[in-house]
Amino acid sequence: MSVLRTENITKVYPGTAALDNVSVSFDSGKVHALIGKNGSGKSTLVKVFSGAIQPTSGKFFLNDAEMHFEAPTDAFSKGIATVYQELSLVPYLSVAENIFLGRLPKKRKVIDWKKTYAMAKEMLDGMNVDIDPHEKVFKLSMWQCQVVEITKAMSFNPKVLMLDEPTSALANNETQRLFEVIRQLKKKDVIIIYISHRLQELWEIADTVTVFRDGKYVGNGEIAQLSHKDIIRMMFGDVKINTRPKDLMAQNEVIMEVKGLTRKGKFEDVSFKLRKGEILGIAGMLGAGRTELLRSIFGADSFDSGSIIIDGQKSYKKSDTVHMKSLGMGLTPEERKTQGIILIHSIRDNLCYSCLDRISNRHVIDNKKRIQLANKQVDELEIKISGINANANSLSGGNQQKVVIGNWLNNEPKIMMYDEPTRGIDVQAKQQIFNIMWDQSRSGISSIFVSSELEELLEVCHRILIMYQGRVIGEVNPDNMTIDELYAICMGGIINED
Amino acid sequence: MKINMELFSKKKTNIFLLDHMIEILLLVLILIVSCISPAFLTVGNILNILRNVAMKGVIAYGMCLVIIAGEIDLSVGSTVALSGVLIAWTSKNLNASFGIPIEWGALIGVVFAIAVAILVGFFHAWARHHFNMPSFIVTLATLNILYGLAAIVCEGFPIVNAFPKWYVFLGTGKIFGIPFPALVFILVFFAFWFLTEKTDLGRKIYAVGGNSEAARLNGINVWRTRVFVFCTIQVMCVLGGVMNSAQVRSATFGFGRGWETQIISSVVIGGTSMLGGIGTIWGTIIGVLFTGIISNAMTLLNVNEFMQYVVNGSLMFCAVMFNTYMTKKRN
Repeated sequence: MSVLRTENITKVYPGTAALDNVSVSFDSGKVHALIGKNGSGKSTLVKVFSGAIQPTSGKFFLNDAEMHFEAPTDAFSKGIATVYQELSLVPYLSVAENIFLGRLPKKRKVIDWKKTYAMAKEMLDGMNVDIDPHEKVFKLSMWQCQVVEITKAMSFNPKVLMLDEPTSALANNETQRLFEVIRQLKKKDVIIIYISHRLQELWEIADTVTVFRDGKYVGNGEIAQLSHKDIIRMMFGDVKINTRPKDLMAQNEVIMEVKGLTRKGKFEDVSFKLRKGEILGIAGMLGAGRTELLRSIFGADSFDSGSIIIDGQKSYKKSDTVHMKSLGMGLTPEERKTQGIILIHSIRDNLCYSCLDRISNRHVIDNKKRIQLANKQVDELEIKISGINANANSLSGGNQQKVVIGNWLNNEPKIMMYDEPTRGIDVQAKQQIFNIMWDQSRSGISSIFVSSELEELLEVCHRILIMYQGRVIGEVNPDNMTIDELYAICMGGIINED
Repeated sequence: MKINMELFSKKKTNIFLLDHMIEILLLVLILIVSCISPAFLTVGNILNILRNVAMKGVIAYGMCLVIIAGEIDLSVGSTVALSGVLIAWTSKNLNASFGIPIEWGALIGVVFAIAVAILVGFFHAWARHHFNMPSFIVTLATLNILYGLAAIVCEGFPIVNAFPKWYVFLGTGKIFGIPFPALVFILVFFAFWFLTEKTDLGRKIYAVGGNSEAARLNGINVWRTRVFVFCTIQVMCVLGGVMNSAQVRSATFGFGRGWETQIISSVVIGGTSMLGGIGTIWGTIIGVLFTGIISNAMTLLNVNEFMQYVVNGSLMFCAVMFNTYMTKKRN
């Protein structure tokens, strides 16, 4: 029996307290779920336990011994192991090598392969899974990789095992198999800390649940005695949702129709209509297929079946961003630094990449027009720059995002798709981005808005589609929906009638 | 306040100096060499330098585009050889088999060589784009293939007496006293300068090299852009090959051997980043002149031929180190 306990742990970042006086305790032999929305502090707590960061004040104890970590290796040596969402396996090495990477058993300075495989086999058998230790990791399925990662962590005989969103990349049946492994682990007197965005899972796998909100500990309890509603109420408290301007109306004319769109393994049978001037939100948890859907609609990826009709014109199944752009579509991608913007190029150039054809006459660029268009977006979107020729990597995240958006607006699109445009940017910039969408709507331009921040969707959109595990499971009207309800649907995949 | 302003302007001058380091070094080099050797700063010698750098220089412009687009073409030297050999072979055989005068035969040969070059460039782009093969490997393979083909076509010996007068003029002729290759070198500079600075295609090349995924998501046709740069450099190789074989009045498979390293080093000395997305044609012409003047000076000063390799290699190393340092400093 071991106990992990914190006393008034606080972690302050400039401007915010990521953890505010948190005192909690976890005992072994159970799965403890940590939940809370983005920025609630649950990940910060995990980082403190894993030695990735040091708390500003407060202490924590493992079996009454105070822990002090300078680096993640310290946490490891004290028996706290973490399995992160991004797996750290080497794809072209075998399962056994991955488990014992850096500490392969040796016989007279030569690797003892027989022993390596035997030890790995023993460990995997102990987890009750049938994975061949000789198999190369790249041949394994996602859940098997997760299991190998957990086996690797368990090979250190930890007292605490932290699992960070282990199911986010798994399909339903894979999740079940992973759960079997985790249940097996409970017999081993380990403290298991489990982070997940999928609320539904908690009743299947967790014993207790601990809720965080805005860096504060809100409450905990036995999962069996809590309902969906209880947990969501704890997560959100009272949220004030701003309302969108009253004059925003979607027109009746349908500008785009998506019919039965399917990309195998990513999303299935997605159908919806987008009207002129409409702002359509897509809600859903990470891995629900939102980004993949937008990318296929934009032609960044291909799709397998279904059709997209824009203004009566059908798009190709093959990925073709050039064609989709010519049909009047634009996309601000999820990863703005690696996909949306060219960091080593100037702000002027970055504002004029999508509209190169528009600013050139017989392939010769009209420089006056280019500068005029770039300056127009800088003024209208209030982009804070030192000069139009400065490189894009000199800008803050919010301003970079505005450059990505401005670049597309310069091409005068009919449909704009925004994938997580507000991630990692400040409140004021967020509000400006909403204003851009509203202004666009007023001039008849439709938007599709994907965000993990559900309150944003409720504030901005005319209509919200909900995606769950690759399918659109429902459509809601933000005017008669509370954030609690919306969250419950996104996490659980069910629409409650009450 | 006044001191601050001065500090500020001083910093600005420093940045200006660092940004134009290569131009300054070129001027310094010219100054030093002309002090040491009075033969250097004469019209005759300057035109001589221009003529000597022209053949690699036109290819360097193409290389500059390829490197800006985030790729590389190592096969250039072999295309230089192959194009010369193909033209000579076509001209000679058309004359021998069909009695077509070499004046026309050579012209047909040039068209043929350009067609082959475009095909090779297209192949590079295709392997790069559709199979995601590194262009380094693709062009390393074609370097050997084209070299071998050139040797097969000329059967291992120089082809002579295949070139008409107009062809030889392309390598040795003068217009208003200026060697024809030097004239080509300058004219092609303006074409490439216009392309990179003034056209949408130029911007697309920078965008693809800067971040090909972002370019694709901006609705830029990455495939066409790659085809363009790979084909352009190959056509420039034909131009270089024509001037080279015309100057020597014969063609053989050994021509252009090792040119790729000298060309790439000129481009890199001119400030083009091997990571793609950054570089200018202006920088490239400066880089070409810089290396050209250095070899000219070393020849004037009777420096050992092999020493020139040592100097060229060291120069390239220093240039890349300087560029990497500058990039780090800017960020």
